[in-house]
Amino acid sequence: MPDFSSSVKLKYVKLGYQYLVNHFLSLLLIPIMAIIAVELLRMGPEDILNVWNSLHFDIVQVLCSSFLVIFISTVYFMSKPRTVYLVDYSCYKPPVTCRVPFATFMEHSRLILKDSPKSVEFQMRILERSGLGEETCLPPAIHYIPPTPTMDEARSEAQMVIFTAMDDLFKKTGLLPKDIDILIVNCSLFSPTPSLSAMVINKYKLRSNIKSFNLSGMGCSAGLISVDLARDLLQVHPNSNAVIVSTEIITPNYYKGNERAMLLPNCLFRMGSAAILMSNRRSDRWRAKYKLCHLVRTHRGADDKSFYCVYEQEDREGKIGINLSKDLMAIAGEALKANITTIGPLVLPASEQLLFLLSLIGRKIFNLKWKPYIPDFKLAFEHFCIHAGGRAVIDELQKNLQLSGEHVEASRMTLHRFGNTSSSSLWYELCYIESKGRMRRGDRVWQIAFGSGFKCNSAVWKCNRTIKTPKDGPWSDCIDRYPVFIPEVVKL
Amino acid sequence: MDILCILSSLLILYLIFKIWKHIDSKRDQNCYILDYQCHKPSDDRMLSTQISGEIIRRNKHLRLNEFKFLLKAIVSSGIGEQTYAPCIYFEGREESPTIQDALSEMEEFYIDTIEQLLKRNKLKPKDIDVLVVNVSMLNSTPSLSARIINHYKMREDVKVFNLTAMGCSASVISVDIVKNIFKTYKNKLALVVTSESLSPNWYSGNNRSMILANCLFRSGGCAVLLTNKRCLSPRAMFKLKCLVRTHHGAREDSFNACVQKEDELGRVGIHLDKTLPKAATRAFVDNLKVITPKILPVTVLFRFMLSLLLKKLRRSPSKGSTSNVAQAAPKAGINFKTGIDHFCIHTGGKAVIDAIGYSLDLTEYDLEPARMTLHRFGNTSASSLWYVLGYMEAKKRLKRGDRVFMISFGAGFKCNSCVWEVVRDLSVGECLGNVWNHCIDQYPPKSLLNPFLEKYGWIREEEDADTFKFRT
Repeated sequence: MPDFSSSVKLKYVKLGYQYLVNHFLSLLLIPIMAIIAVELLRMGPEDILNVWNSLHFDIVQVLCSSFLVIFISTVYFMSKPRTVYLVDYSCYKPPVTCRVPFATFMEHSRLILKDSPKSVEFQMRILERSGLGEETCLPPAIHYIPPTPTMDEARSEAQMVIFTAMDDLFKKTGLLPKDIDILIVNCSLFSPTPSLSAMVINKYKLRSNIKSFNLSGMGCSAGLISVDLARDLLQVHPNSNAVIVSTEIITPNYYKGNERAMLLPNCLFRMGSAAILMSNRRSDRWRAKYKLCHLVRTHRGADDKSFYCVYEQEDREGKIGINLSKDLMAIAGEALKANITTIGPLVLPASEQLLFLLSLIGRKIFNLKWKPYIPDFKLAFEHFCIHAGGRAVIDELQKNLQLSGEHVEASRMTLHRFGNTSSSSLWYELCYIESKGRMRRGDRVWQIAFGSGFKCNSAVWKCNRTIKTPKDGPWSDCIDRYPVFIPEVVKL
Repeated sequence: MDILCILSSLLILYLIFKIWKHIDSKRDQNCYILDYQCHKPSDDRMLSTQISGEIIRRNKHLRLNEFKFLLKAIVSSGIGEQTYAPCIYFEGREESPTIQDALSEMEEFYIDTIEQLLKRNKLKPKDIDVLVVNVSMLNSTPSLSARIINHYKMREDVKVFNLTAMGCSASVISVDIVKNIFKTYKNKLALVVTSESLSPNWYSGNNRSMILANCLFRSGGCAVLLTNKRCLSPRAMFKLKCLVRTHHGAREDSFNACVQKEDELGRVGIHLDKTLPKAATRAFVDNLKVITPKILPVTVLFRFMLSLLLKKLRRSPSKGSTSNVAQAAPKAGINFKTGIDHFCIHTGGKAVIDAIGYSLDLTEYDLEPARMTLHRFGNTSASSLWYVLGYMEAKKRLKRGDRVFMISFGAGFKCNSCVWEVVRDLSVGECLGNVWNHCIDQYPPKSLLNPFLEKYGWIREEEDADTFKFRT
């Protein structure tokens, strides 16, 4: 960890200075209160009674001072930044007809790649160790032999996943389409003209003054980038709500060649989407599920190795696919460390921060041979939602953050049941935790996502009300079977 | 008594402090354009009539009817001889582009523009806090924004957004994102990079509504530096007054006016429907309805409302009377020159500029920047507005206090507009790095006609599609 410690040191100094300056007035109050307290202690109880009796409580004075107090408290409360709530969200549950059990996948693979048995062998080994289950789904176009990834098919997959999720969201929240003020759609790999956001506006006949944004190319972390944009917009527009649609359209991106590093995404990416409703309205405070506390984005694009680790390119035969480099885990670890240095001071309790500071001082200034102290994030969060990018990602993060099996259970089970659904996987994981009945009021959730570029984004949510186990939703029919034991290698 | 006095004076002081902070923060929420740089590709990428003809001829699927159609479209397009096209058009590879072609086209653009922009303003890439990239037709992994961050080694905490598929109005949408971020975060510097990717989007079929897109779009792009830092505001050029977005996606005919799809043989292209002008007009009218009250003085609005009322009263007794309703674009009936001094119209085509000129009642002087941009640079999609702005700056038309109205359209169907106020006198001194610097003296030229008619006009006489042979 070369620059980790020095950047942390500077960050702490900066934070301390910012805290001092920003809260200057409140800090000034402390000596004033101290002086008043000392004065009160010096005067005996009779003196205090004398002072009290000498005060003339003129009606005008009382009115003026109470008016002043009320006015000031109003100004204080209005100048606070608006809280952004997550009212509700819904995840897409693919139909049973789209399921791709291992046998189907391998049969397809053998038929399509009949000229390269080594690649078929490679795919089988990946699938055995992937941590995926037998119920993950691929879009209908990919079930054909050979797959038919036309633009029409991609559009119909987009319509199927997005509209179903949105219909479900409307039903759950009672939201009317014409009440949506902000719409953000993020889909990394498919971007037709008119955009997917225009397609949603067309289907639900949304208002003409809607603020719509279509983000793409931002990888599996795009869901949190959309939340960031929604938060910034909701700070500026009072009394508004925002709908975010996070999805990944698999149809046009199925790799048809036989280059091994590029066959990996075929084995891992699956169909899925999520629709999220966020709001800053006071009236939604009671029914909102979560409150957004922090959102931190880290972009490691400046480092060349990080930049090239997820790269779309043509193989030797000109077929387009996504190349995943072998250092992906190491790069993900580094990106996470960079993200933690920013989010740590915001969420860790003072005790952990103090310990970390002490260990830092000990190592750097006194040159003691202590191991670098990794703050215990389990004290800051009750639940963790790690992007289900692949088994290796979850393993690596579990090791780095020293998490127990139960903490990463949501991620592993989502990977098993739904596969890697890219930006929407975080929402499936959150739904798992809710379906297990583990989400209580006041619980804090940490969502971490990685994306091409290389980005690491994390969001901290606080549960607003204890959530009853949902009756419907993607996990409703199978939650009782989970957690399952996922062996290291599934023999195929 | 004393304690009460001290307490109330403390509270009053706190109140005054809060109010002052509130007013102060408003000054930090302004969105200024610090500088902008349009891209001028190298001269070996200039598309003359000769080369255009060769490219069209290379397409084996086109027949006589398509040639006639193309001739009509190109002759009346208003596009001149010096517009730019991507390299692969000149290498003959437009039907088989690779990912690398698309990326190099974008690299050539952003390396040149961002370099010039930062150098001129003595800024480093590490100073950029917000990056918004909008390129409609390119979707790469990692995104174009990540490529820019990698090339310039920007900071880790840069706020980056990559917008795609939002059409020719996307640069106003990017400015909208930056404007909203500036309201919450103080002291930020934003870079908006807007362009269009042509290399991977050549249509190789013969569906008429789709081959039009091949001939109208040209290469170009722009990088804009925006800021809300108070220390940079003396150097700023423009201040954003208001921004209005209108989305007509809810209407079926507006949504289907411009759609990317496959033709009968599975080739991908952009279908431009015949109802596009009507959809554009509707969106335009709706957008004007919202932005007009924000930009015109109250007296003008009042007079307009009165005249509308009188017209309604006069019309109601005679319901059956036929009034001359303008077919293509209704006249606004209100004088926009009272609130706006310059008009930056998206150079979507000659018809678009004519229609807007008619409905807003603009003179040739007002439409000149848009027409000249269309002639010199063609339809560069989202970045065209900045080329038009560059023309006005090069012609020394922009004086302090002037208001510039930008309007653009996009697939979906969107109409986005914004109003900028000139904060520094731009009519004196040199405009460094302006793309028009080398040729501004030749504009406006005496004639805007391109030699397509004289070179290929004989096609109109040809009748027989079977025995038709292309004469050089």
